[in-house]
Amino acid sequence: MSIDAAIATNRFGLGARPGDVADVANDPKGWLIAQLTPERELPDPLRALPSTADDMGAFFKWVRQIAADARTHGMDPYKLKPEAGMRDSAMTGGDSGFSIEREYVKTFIPRYAVAVKARFDTSVQTERPFFERLVHFWVNHFVVSGAKPGAIAMPPSFERDVIRPNVTGRFVDMLLASTKHPAMLFYLDNFRSVGPNSKVGRNPSLRARRDQPFAVPQQTGLNENLAREIMELQTMGVRSGYTQADVTSFARVITGWTIASPPRVPFYRLVLQGRLNGKGLFEFDDEEHEPGSQTIMGKRYDEAGVDQGEAVLHDLAAHPATAHFIATKLARHFVADDPPPEMVEAMAGAFLATGGDLKSVYVQMVKSAGAFRPEAQKFKTPEEYVISAARALPDYRPDAASLLRAYRSMGQAPYNPPGPNGWPDIAAEWLGADAVWKRFEWANQTSGSLASSNLNPGALGADVLGPQLSAATSQAIARAQSPQQGLTLLLASPEFQRR
Amino acid sequence: MLTRRLMLHATGCGLVAAGLPSAVFAAAETDKRLVVIILRGAMDGLSAAPAYGDPDFERARNGLALPPPGQAGGVLKLDAMFGLHPNLVGLKSLYDAGEMTVVHACATPYRDRSHFDGQNLLENGSENPNGLETGWLNRALAQIPGTGKPLGVALDSHMPLVLRGPAPVTSWAPSLLPSPDYDTVQRVAMLYGETDPVLARDFALAQGANSVAAGTGAAGYQAFVQLMTAAARFLSTPDGERIAMVDIGGWDTHVNQAGAFSPLSTNLRTLDHGIAALRQGLGPIWRDTVVIAVSEFGRTVAMNGTQGTDHGTGSAVFLAGGAIRGGQVVADWPGLKPANLYQNRDLRPTTDFRSIATGVLRDHMGLRANQLAAVFPSSAPIHPKDGLIRA
Repeated sequence: MSIDAAIATNRFGLGARPGDVADVANDPKGWLIAQLTPERELPDPLRALPSTADDMGAFFKWVRQIAADARTHGMDPYKLKPEAGMRDSAMTGGDSGFSIEREYVKTFIPRYAVAVKARFDTSVQTERPFFERLVHFWVNHFVVSGAKPGAIAMPPSFERDVIRPNVTGRFVDMLLASTKHPAMLFYLDNFRSVGPNSKVGRNPSLRARRDQPFAVPQQTGLNENLAREIMELQTMGVRSGYTQADVTSFARVITGWTIASPPRVPFYRLVLQGRLNGKGLFEFDDEEHEPGSQTIMGKRYDEAGVDQGEAVLHDLAAHPATAHFIATKLARHFVADDPPPEMVEAMAGAFLATGGDLKSVYVQMVKSAGAFRPEAQKFKTPEEYVISAARALPDYRPDAASLLRAYRSMGQAPYNPPGPNGWPDIAAEWLGADAVWKRFEWANQTSGSLASSNLNPGALGADVLGPQLSAATSQAIARAQSPQQGLTLLLASPEFQRR
Repeated sequence: MLTRRLMLHATGCGLVAAGLPSAVFAAAETDKRLVVIILRGAMDGLSAAPAYGDPDFERARNGLALPPPGQAGGVLKLDAMFGLHPNLVGLKSLYDAGEMTVVHACATPYRDRSHFDGQNLLENGSENPNGLETGWLNRALAQIPGTGKPLGVALDSHMPLVLRGPAPVTSWAPSLLPSPDYDTVQRVAMLYGETDPVLARDFALAQGANSVAAGTGAAGYQAFVQLMTAAARFLSTPDGERIAMVDIGGWDTHVNQAGAFSPLSTNLRTLDHGIAALRQGLGPIWRDTVVIAVSEFGRTVAMNGTQGTDHGTGSAVFLAGGAIRGGQVVADWPGLKPANLYQNRDLRPTTDFRSIATGVLRDHMGLRANQLAAVFPSSAPIHPKDGLIRA
């Protein structure tokens, strides 16, 4: 029985704290399922984070500031492109001493670091680790990545507005919330996609006036980025039957789905005056929307304003390919890199039978045969590894800077996956000489930072891993020359890195 | 000075535990070096290597065409048809020295427009995105006679698909963390030896890599240039790796891709600086080196509605190195008239990337036809491109 408790805490949770494995031993599956209720209030560490409007406004305020600073250095601000700033330290004004990159780092890294620390603190403190793991899963599914410089401040507010309220609800609601959120509209460029035959499309000077803060006259037209990634990465999955023509039609359908007065002048004023809260940032702009009906995967969607796009999203969310894609990703994330096909089928069946009720899918997963196979099936990602160690070690509470250093060294900076497909979720991606070494370096550094008088790594291993702790690891810990070295061996052990 | 070989020997318990031969003294039977750079995100080949001489170029690019050679901010001229983006000054001088080639209108067999499927196929070397779970570069390594010690290195904390497979490979990226003491290293190696062959193997390989690359640079900005410097260190170690793989992302330019300070322009400059750093680090070994810089696919010929380009098909591939028969642009140019575009939107691919890769593997790395077939299993024969490598 207690092997199931260890699996529940480590495979489905975020790693056991001392005492957890014993506490859940009576009913490990019941303990998991009981966590699948909506969140009544935000966890403490997240409550202090800024609002979406503030996160968005920060970037556009910075764009303005940078323009003013550039002018004082005698440079033409419209030859500086803010999105380029992060990528190359050569992005400087030569001898002028002005560096767009330096300004960017100064403005945004603290904001990002606070958010990463809040995510860590939430994960370490939570009494609902399965729920929190699901939050992490969905944040890695509906991806807004700060790796796109303009989006660096947005992922935490996207998580709060889109993911957390919908984790145990219906998939379609999360999809709708995501597609209407300013962070997603910005990250995948839709906020500037304009129907070629819309009013603005036929008269681009209308658009140029609205986009004043960017000042460069903007040509207007279609951008298919968001439409493609919704179909490929967020709903049906790649090679599931749609074509390039379907992508383009869907892109036309969601033209006009934009950010309320996006980077437009009145928006700043509202932000600066503190008059804009986190709601109401989505805007359907009829004047940018491509008029007319569109056909997607053989079905005709008549012109209906914003309802046209909502109808497509409802159909995508209900598609059998979507059920299968979501079930596969969930099972792969929690259970095994190659999950048992019958488990995936059962989960997809639960998705379709309930109209995409996510709680039913999770319950089906936990109850499936194979979910509690005793052999470790997964290799923890770096973030899972760090969080599980912190839950096991109440004395390990790093500051934001050392936390970020740890994550970056192991190749996984939270909220910053390289692309819209999120972080990889299979061992082959995370294993490798350098990856294994960096984890060991981090384990060693972490152990060394703790006072030996409080450490009993042998007992800790038995407590948090239960029967998963191997005899070889126990023996290696017992023979260690110091408690810190013993703890390094525990954290580096295969059973602590696999789950 | 402790050489890498001795270091590996000294820490050999991990190798023995991992089932690798303990005798690690012989070098690979080739002196040739190969560096593969994957440009993730789909590089706009018509910006990197503009076909400025095509009469349809300016019209087709509707706003993205750089000025012709000779004008301010203009294309760097290669020949009457093709040029380079003005930030590729290093590659231009390599071209002039006969050490750089552009292969244009090139693509893998992939014809859809998903980055992730496209990269999978580029890396697994098969004809579909999930066709193989190993990478073509690893399978190429498996053809090179060696001793069981790794001949390939990824300059990355992740192991990219292109290097995954049966042949042993290592990886390295700069560390921000303090180095552990030797005794703890030994104990962890022993624990892995008893319990987990995969961790044991990777742990032993990492120790070897650390002894080679230590001190080559820190993480952060210009990371790509530093990784290329580290790649040079691995490849110039006498019994070291022969193949290195480096990633550079950020090519997915849906928005605002034109202009001297656009992400595309800065990325091209970084690529240029990185190849220059590799050349400098390799010294005389540059003579025996080929660099392939390739992206999963290209981008639309026309500008999209947001001053960028969307996912396309054909792109440009850069080949550089002292072993390259450079100073030429290799292209069966499809033209840019609407009727000539692939699906009315993309540069039509006329050269199969696999013919470029097999041309290099055959003429540079010395692989034979049956070995090439194992590297790129294919339903139809692939014809390795002649004349890419200096005779």
